[in-house]
Amino acid sequence: MDASNLSIREINSLFTKKELKPSELYLKVFENAANSEAALHAHLTLFEEENIKKAAESDKRFNNGESDSLLDGIPIAIKDNINIKNYKTTCSSKMLSNYTSPYDATVIEKLKEQNTLFTGKTNLDEFAMGSSTENSAFGLTKNPWNIDYVPGGSSGGSAASVGARSSIAALGSDTGGSIRQPASFCGLVGFKPTYGTVSRFGLVAFASSLDQIGPITKTVDDSRIIFASISGEDSRDATSVINNQLDIPSDNTATIGVIKELMEDGISDEAKNEVNKVVEILKSKGYKVKEISIPIIKLSISIYYLIAPAECSANLARFDGVRYGLRVDGNTSYEMMENTRAEGFGAEVKRRILLGTYALSAGYYDEYYGKALQARKEMIDEFAKTFRDVDYLISPTTPTQAFKSGEKTSNPLEMYMSDLCTIPANLAGLPAISIPTGLSKDALPLGVQVMSKPLSDNSLLDFSEIIENEVQFDGQPKGWL
Amino acid sequence: MSLKPTIGIETHIELNTNTKMFCRCAVVDTDEPNISLCPTCIGLPGALPVPNKKAIEYITLLALSTGCEITSKGMFHRKNYFYPDLPKNYQISQFDLPVGLNGELEIVIDENKDYIQIERVHMEEDTGKSSHSGTGRIESATSTALDFNRSGVPLVEIVTKPVISSSKQAVAYIEELRQLSIDLNISEGRLEKGNLRFDANISVAPEDSAELGTKVEIKNMNSLRSLERAIDYEIQRQTKALEEGIEIVQETRHWDENKEITSTMRSKEGSADYRYFSDPDLPNMFLSEEFIREVETLMPLLPKAQREELMTTGLSLSQSNILSKSDEWIKKLYVKVFDQTKDSIASYNWITGELQGQMRKANIEVLPEWFNDDYLPEIIELIKSDKVSFTSAKIILTEILTTDTTPSKVAEQKNLFQENDSEKISEMINQIIQENQDLVDRIKSGEDKLVGFLVGQLMKESNGSVNPGMAKELLLKELEG
Repeated sequence: MDASNLSIREINSLFTKKELKPSELYLKVFENAANSEAALHAHLTLFEEENIKKAAESDKRFNNGESDSLLDGIPIAIKDNINIKNYKTTCSSKMLSNYTSPYDATVIEKLKEQNTLFTGKTNLDEFAMGSSTENSAFGLTKNPWNIDYVPGGSSGGSAASVGARSSIAALGSDTGGSIRQPASFCGLVGFKPTYGTVSRFGLVAFASSLDQIGPITKTVDDSRIIFASISGEDSRDATSVINNQLDIPSDNTATIGVIKELMEDGISDEAKNEVNKVVEILKSKGYKVKEISIPIIKLSISIYYLIAPAECSANLARFDGVRYGLRVDGNTSYEMMENTRAEGFGAEVKRRILLGTYALSAGYYDEYYGKALQARKEMIDEFAKTFRDVDYLISPTTPTQAFKSGEKTSNPLEMYMSDLCTIPANLAGLPAISIPTGLSKDALPLGVQVMSKPLSDNSLLDFSEIIENEVQFDGQPKGWL
Repeated sequence: MSLKPTIGIETHIELNTNTKMFCRCAVVDTDEPNISLCPTCIGLPGALPVPNKKAIEYITLLALSTGCEITSKGMFHRKNYFYPDLPKNYQISQFDLPVGLNGELEIVIDENKDYIQIERVHMEEDTGKSSHSGTGRIESATSTALDFNRSGVPLVEIVTKPVISSSKQAVAYIEELRQLSIDLNISEGRLEKGNLRFDANISVAPEDSAELGTKVEIKNMNSLRSLERAIDYEIQRQTKALEEGIEIVQETRHWDENKEITSTMRSKEGSADYRYFSDPDLPNMFLSEEFIREVETLMPLLPKAQREELMTTGLSLSQSNILSKSDEWIKKLYVKVFDQTKDSIASYNWITGELQGQMRKANIEVLPEWFNDDYLPEIIELIKSDKVSFTSAKIILTEILTTDTTPSKVAEQKNLFQENDSEKISEMINQIIQENQDLVDRIKSGEDKLVGFLVGQLMKESNGSVNPGMAKELLLKELEG
């Protein structure tokens, strides 16, 4: 048995029983990283040296029976758009290739309090913009199930790291599916909590009204443990909310809705089959399942690609070479800023900044950004109405299995379509989770997504765990251990 | 063609909160650069803004005191533009939902009241400070030094409607606004420190025209003198241009303190599109009824009400206005002196004339602690009861400002009590007549003005102790007799 394959609770039990030491597990995941990193490039930085001492402290706590945290000694990888004090935060951008954060993100502070060990910073699409982790200034990341394929994105490094067992779990960020889509492509659980339940303080903003930090894990329970540790109202984030969880039934008294619009054209048969498989299981357990139509979902990508770029055009304005990061000289301040931004940002980031700037410009605001806000509000209302009839909504996580590296890089619109199923949860602020359910005929993982109403995260996790137990997905890519 | 000017003023008031608008950095008053900074106010990646409740309270106070309607659901907007001292390259401001709308401010010019309509009162954060090498302008600077101490300091902006018609009115408006902000205790109100900075929009149009002329904005003045002269200059410039048939260009102009002229900064064509949009980091800001009521309880007696109260003591509008714009201790002293003397004019004259005059001359900033509230009433009473002359009273005041003593003690020690005994005065008059027989002859032959000289001689001989009124009366009687 390989400890890096175990769940957090199983590992904690071994630690407590002194059958496994945190330092042993730590070395094990680093051995896994050493085996896989050259092929996968999941990480931008690995922290081995610095954390051996911390692992030894965990050893001591367990040895003395003094540990009181499930995450004590658990090696976790962090997406490189979340600040860890005194470490680089590059966002996979040339712009920040030399930037070291002087402060911890709130989620990092919380994990440090739990004595979590950090394994490293993981690769991502530059500033979290992308769906394949191909838009990284530092090289692309491969799917641990098959290195010809992308791991998804933008948290592709985090998913590849957990997939290859180079960490026990990872944090990602999800603006339009950036946790759920790579989790699905890599056969993992990816959980995007209700907007506001996890502080964004210290997460480098892409689109502030959509961004949310969450876990990528092997099991639903692992996501539950991490969510419990990183959530909570934060006085440093004005959008954070008091995590007063609603209790909705997860047993077979619950009603499940299958979203009609996400089971139509554009969704592969394989992806639909996974949903149907889960629906059959739920029906057999006595759940009431019905088809639900939310027509406005068809506008998701249009709405998203106005709101997210608009916000990012302002959020990324601070990268100007004046105070930190890359600076490319010029004859005047403005020339310096222009040169810096021209050289520091990659093509996809520039595309979105331009799109957003355009959508907010005088004369276009009402037509584009203003309309998108209106449609978003309608979508929120539609979901609220829907959740009066059903407790959970189920759909594929992604329209297809993982695609091949390079397959969609020349066609951004096609790339954008891969977030069709995940974007609505961000627009409406809903908790959403991707659960691995099976393999495609190419032996690549497929997943289903479940959403529920805001602040019902815990119930959603409970319900997802029931699906997880029924499906019995044997989710381990071969060849890395 | 008769032309009329129309002026609107935008004023920025720096609030005197302890901490900045969106972070908890101290607001500091120092030349030492970059000592009060944090990730938020220098725009580090991942940092977030959290509003300062005190600043919102202050802005609400100002909006209420200018009779504005309060927008209970206001929103923070991002105003996007690139400038090296603007760390995020957007400024958090307010756009279509400012805290206050449609107010009015009473101003006083001489003995007349006037009313300036306020369009809006909104909050925004200040920028850092740039020092450009060379000409002082960014376009030609070869290097720029940046100080972010001021970055994020809360500002309130008050915008008038285009209702001001002269520089005199403009100055009276700023004086009133400045006093209001001091009385509300929301700002130090120090112009020389840039606590208030103003922009003026000036246009000139034919007297009978229903439409305003093309407006020109003069940016960033911080003294009443600049404001007055810039407005006068600009009215003159535009009037002359129109009379000569030259079209006015809509532009921003800069007031040159030294040359005392305005010159073009940028034309409308080059003006920025700020791409305002609601700041997704700062969800809708609600000013609850409860909060507004709470703020109302903090409202002090406003300058307008102070004037009304002062006028009931018998002062004129302009006197009341001057007092209302005086330091707090002067207002208080007036009330105390008036309460005892019931003589508004004497109280007013002694305080605003003699007392302040002598203090200025002697460089005394605050009243000495021995200076009892009873002293001025005592002095006024001494004059009224003819016990001392006005001249002696001034000497007494000088003495009690520098020595711990009382008015009557000074009068006694310095022998300043007035001689009111007509027999004794007559004796002295006889003496003077004997000594100045030649003058007496000249008076008798018609040189009336020499009477005053004789009275003066008498005062001199008596060390000023003779009641001058009585002396003159008796002298005339003697000369006639």
